[in-house]
Amino acid sequence: MDEQTPPPPDHGSTPPPPPSVSGSPTDFLKGVVGKRVIVRLTSGVDYRGVLSCLDGYMNIALEQTEEHVNGMVTNRYGDAFIRGNNVLYISAAESL
Amino acid sequence: MDPSSTGIQEPFDLIRLSLSERVFVKLRGDRELSGVLHAYDGHMNLILSDVEETVMIVDAVDGTLEGQGTVAKRKMEMLFVRGDGVILVSPPSRM
Repeated sequence: MDEQTPPPPDHGSTPPPPPSVSGSPTDFLKGVVGKRVIVRLTSGVDYRGVLSCLDGYMNIALEQTEEHVNGMVTNRYGDAFIRGNNVLYISAAESL
Repeated sequence: MDPSSTGIQEPFDLIRLSLSERVFVKLRGDRELSGVLHAYDGHMNLILSDVEETVMIVDAVDGTLEGQGTVAKRKMEMLFVRGDGVILVSPPSRM
């Protein structure tokens, strides 16, 4: 037996190479930890800050947080815990 | 290692580090609380003492949102907050 021979490529199931953006939602979230993000809540309120960490419920810890309502800063927090059920999306506010 | 400077690894660490401190809590229904955090759990049920609640009341003056609205405040000695009403908790800023 020739153990060195690699198996033939499986043309049927090989996924096409992804475009420049790649990875799962989890990969995205791992990538934005420590970066500036915009967190939008279902209420429409935005929180801009540095993402400290998040958990499986999408509870979020933000640093240097600004609360934006209708485009205006309405509050500032050194740290903020956001309960995950309120989160609509997390957007990267700087390049990854 | 954790990339952030504060060294917290999960969001609940932020709350744990705020025990016995005065926290700001933003709730559903345009309510805010300021109180001393005594206990919490995974639902974000909270026990607060020396609490001031602020309720933002929008004056429906012909539906215009220009008016600032009024605020109603009240104080409570001890309060249990059901977690599902919590939007945001902010600890006192640590420098």
